[in-house]
Amino acid sequence: MVSEAAESRSESVATTVRDLVRATGGGLLVGLPLLFTLEMWAHSFLLPSLKIVVLIGVAFVVVVGYTAVSGFRRERSWIELLIDSVETMGIAAVVATVALLLLGRVGLETGLRDAVGKIALEMIPVAFGVSLAGTQLASPEDDPEDAADQGSTVADGNGAGTFARLFIAAGAALLFALNIAPTEEPMLLGVEAAWWLLLLVIPATLAVTFAVVFYADFRGGRSLESGDGPLDRPLTETLAAYAVSLLVSLLLLWSFGRTDGASWSAIVGQTIMLAVVASFGAAVGRLLIGGGGQQQEAS
Amino acid sequence: MRQNWLEWVVLGVSLAAIAGLVGFLVVDGLTDAGRPPKPVITLQTDAAYGVSEGWILPAMATNEGDEAAEALALRATATVDGVEEESEVTIDYLPAGTDVEFSFGFSGRPEGAVTVSIVGFRLP
Repeated sequence: MVSEAAESRSESVATTVRDLVRATGGGLLVGLPLLFTLEMWAHSFLLPSLKIVVLIGVAFVVVVGYTAVSGFRRERSWIELLIDSVETMGIAAVVATVALLLLGRVGLETGLRDAVGKIALEMIPVAFGVSLAGTQLASPEDDPEDAADQGSTVADGNGAGTFARLFIAAGAALLFALNIAPTEEPMLLGVEAAWWLLLLVIPATLAVTFAVVFYADFRGGRSLESGDGPLDRPLTETLAAYAVSLLVSLLLLWSFGRTDGASWSAIVGQTIMLAVVASFGAAVGRLLIGGGGQQQEAS
Repeated sequence: MRQNWLEWVVLGVSLAAIAGLVGFLVVDGLTDAGRPPKPVITLQTDAAYGVSEGWILPAMATNEGDEAAEALALRATATVDGVEEESEVTIDYLPAGTDVEFSFGFSGRPEGAVTVSIVGFRLP
């Protein structure tokens, strides 16, 4: 009896280790591009401390959302969800710290505030990756029952519900646009674009996202049939997802201080340009989750 | 709920890491007096060395203010072979509390003291 208990305990430690490795892998997959981005290093000391705290708070809410959908572990109760999210942030902090040390971005000559700011900022994309590690990197063979459960909170029946889909759209838009947002390019694009160019970018963005989700016949794509709700029609859903992407873009631009002291036209231009990236992320996110029902039927 | 000791360790480390990071930033944010950048330059005359193109004078910049200085331009003036010479260096970013190492260059070993002045910097 004793040895059996010890055996199962060491097995569960092995499972935990595997979960941690998976979490680290997911975190690096999403976090590495931004760990290699100069503007992320600079924003650690350019942003006020309290703003970084606000960003971590927002990131935590997003992580709770991502974890509810996937998570590197599969428990579902509320308290477990919160604990998992705390652990996600903690693992991300450790991964970001080690990565910054190995990349030579944090060292003995770095001021404490600078180092803490860098870790706090870089752990955000890493945390998103950790929290998504469950669904996207989990191998279905090692736990078939759990694999079937994954995503079930939003993907019951015929794919996700309207608001769940928009939530997923927001999460995916954030994840994808986050790689671009800290760089100078969206600012240059937005500030330099003429008004008529911006007016062309909007329908082009809408057309691409509409086509990708409803016409390209990707796995997870959907037919052009309308559902019951006002947002369950292809056109209205595309517009709603675009609105969500614009909001996400504006939030990101504010986060990185791109809206500070900028004129209204500059803010509008930047938002529209970043929303090209954000709404594409939103479209792919809806593909991955929206067709959950179909995917499960197929397998 | 926690299945083994390792999960407890993960939870403990996570709580400590988050509390440490957020706690530090909150305290720093509340006590930040918003002092403007105050670059302090230390010349490391002992570490100076000659190269075929002249003389390299290592230096260290620190920022004793609360805000970062961007594009900090520094000018060192010295007398080499009886002629006054200037050396200019620009530091991309000088965050509060961080040390940045750099070097001034002259055509030869300066005679007497080297004086450093701040040409200017941008606020982020």
